[in-house]
Amino acid sequence: MHKKVQALTIPAQRIKIIPDSHPLPKGHDLSDTLIKIRGLKFSRGERMIIDGIDMDIPRKGITAIMGPSGTGKTTLLKLIGGQLHPDAGSIEVDGQNVHKLKTSQLYALRKRMGMLFQSGALLTDLSVFENVAYPLREHTRLSEGLIRQLVLLKLNAVGLRGAAQLMPSELSGGMARRVAMARAISLDPMMIMYDEPFTGQDPISKGVLVKLIRELNNVLDICSIVVSHDVQETLSIADYVYVISDGEIVGHGRPEDCKVSDSEWIRQFIDGLADGPVPFHYPAESVLDDLITGNTKS
Amino acid sequence: MSTRTIEIMVGLFVAAGIAALFMLAMKVSNLATYGGDEGYIISASFDNIGGLKVRSLVSASGVRVGQVTGIEYDSDGYEARVTMSIDPQYDKFPTDTAASIMTSGLLGEQYVGLQPGAEEEYLKAGSEVELTQSALVLEQIIGQFLYNMAEEK
Amino acid sequence: MMLLFDKLQSLGHSSLTSLQRLGRGHVFLMQVLPAMEGMLFRPGLLIRQMYSVGVLTLLIIVVAGLFVGMVMALQSYYALVDFGAEDSVSVMVVLSLLRELGPVVTALLFAGRAGSALTAEIGLMKATEQLSGMEMMAVNPIERVIAPRFLAGFLSMPLLAAIFSAVGVMGGYLVAVELLGLDAGAFWSQAVSNVDLYHDLGNGMIKSAVFGFVVVWIAVFEGYDCVPTSDGLGKATTRTVVHSSLAVLGLDFVLTALMFSE
Repeated sequence: MHKKVQALTIPAQRIKIIPDSHPLPKGHDLSDTLIKIRGLKFSRGERMIIDGIDMDIPRKGITAIMGPSGTGKTTLLKLIGGQLHPDAGSIEVDGQNVHKLKTSQLYALRKRMGMLFQSGALLTDLSVFENVAYPLREHTRLSEGLIRQLVLLKLNAVGLRGAAQLMPSELSGGMARRVAMARAISLDPMMIMYDEPFTGQDPISKGVLVKLIRELNNVLDICSIVVSHDVQETLSIADYVYVISDGEIVGHGRPEDCKVSDSEWIRQFIDGLADGPVPFHYPAESVLDDLITGNTKS
Repeated sequence: MSTRTIEIMVGLFVAAGIAALFMLAMKVSNLATYGGDEGYIISASFDNIGGLKVRSLVSASGVRVGQVTGIEYDSDGYEARVTMSIDPQYDKFPTDTAASIMTSGLLGEQYVGLQPGAEEEYLKAGSEVELTQSALVLEQIIGQFLYNMAEEK
Repeated sequence: MMLLFDKLQSLGHSSLTSLQRLGRGHVFLMQVLPAMEGMLFRPGLLIRQMYSVGVLTLLIIVVAGLFVGMVMALQSYYALVDFGAEDSVSVMVVLSLLRELGPVVTALLFAGRAGSALTAEIGLMKATEQLSGMEMMAVNPIERVIAPRFLAGFLSMPLLAAIFSAVGVMGGYLVAVELLGLDAGAFWSQAVSNVDLYHDLGNGMIKSAVFGFVVVWIAVFEGYDCVPTSDGLGKATTRTVVHSSLAVLGLDFVLTALMFSE
């Protein structure tokens, strides 16, 4: 029932984007694609999580993937990282089809990807310093002195050099994410994926994270993918936005386009309206049936 | 906790485990008696060995001098043939030594007891003990006793 | 009639789920075993796990071993003294420790202490995305997280069982000789003449190695396979203790039948 309503309303209201009509931000070249997703489908059990997505993510700049909770955004990142296998379709990262790679090739590709998990995913039995040093120790044979220098530089970049000797349990959520960012850039990747970086952060932490994502992207000149449902923060840093709902792309364009879009769906999402194309009520029998006559299938 | 402390603790743990194994092997099992492989083998034939088993004790004057290494039935002589390994330091058993199967206690294990004779020459590897005495089978003794009682009356 | 079909369905469903888990467990094992060779290059990982799996379990093993040995000595004394066979107390204590109590009780305590901790630790690493995080850092978590724990558990179990038995024998000695006044020489010599190195001690050690393998396999699998929620983690920890205890007792029967039947 739920699904049917969506399918009827959304495709008609996709926002129209004409990429050539506006000059794109500097360094944001749509033609140089790093990640190319075609016809991607993924389901868990009988639930379709991603239902046919085509997406191009450029080599430089920040691409945001937005949408309500539970619409397969995190799943999409895991598919790009090769942690999940799609039912159909393909993902090419830097010309390599992620799901056709051998394990060793996939691992080689992952060394060039950074990923920031929602919780930070720091290794709890290692100190902040060791966490950032971990990828370096695993994948390089640098001397201890060099590792120390690199780690402190990366920690300095996120403003946490002073916290190097703390344990992850002593960090606040925002600090843990910043440490995780330092770790994600320790191998100088070509791209970083941020999974819900702003969720559950106070306004100051959000501000810090926004600034860091923007700065890191500019300084390292890489591809950043931000998955989020925090509208204002994400729109403020993104160069390009994809909006997903129910496993499908319902719109994409530059942030300015989204802000002025007249799509009913985009409006509901951006303005945070309680009812709209995504209904307030979870699909159910009518109130009359349910409460008065008690005439329900249980 | 520092890596060094952890490594020391683990080292202690492994050492304790090996020490425990060693203690069990030396103190409460027959590791010491496995030297029996190097002993010399002698054999003896008995009419009846009772409950004697491989690895049963061989003793002289109550002192353990070796162990039983093999038991088989000799279908030519209709006898049980017992091979024993005698520890090498006990190499002065005269050739007329007698072997008998005894029981430690009323219900205890059975073992081979050696009673040295008086000959000048000694048993050596492959020798056969000629003088043997079979196991006392309790049922037979009781049976005989009852039979005698009945006869006396 | 409907009820019957419902019952049948739930029976079929649970059998299928169990079979599926069993299959996943074996696939998982096949992934873990080849990852063992990575241990050769990183002994540090193994040592850290030997500490948390072995050293931290030592205390409970020593205390339990001491009391089990003491109780065994008392009980067998009371049983044997009626037959004037109290000299055999040491044989009773040593044989039952080496053959059964050492491996089995150690494995049960090991499942409760180290197994549940392993499941909880790995499950929590999964729930907090640490395992995914490692994968995305191009580090194989099976090699870095699972294999060291597996090997440490497998190596620790026989050592713990040996320590349990040794401490148990000492506890038995304390009760038999110091408390009940049996002869110390008879205590040791009776044991020596009735306990075989290979048949009793060796088989006991083989048992404990098998138990160690099974317990640690169940523990790391339950952690790795758990539903990453607090509820799923709790259930996985419980399953580790229940399943590995049952597996130990069942296997003990099979191994005993194989080893000690002449």
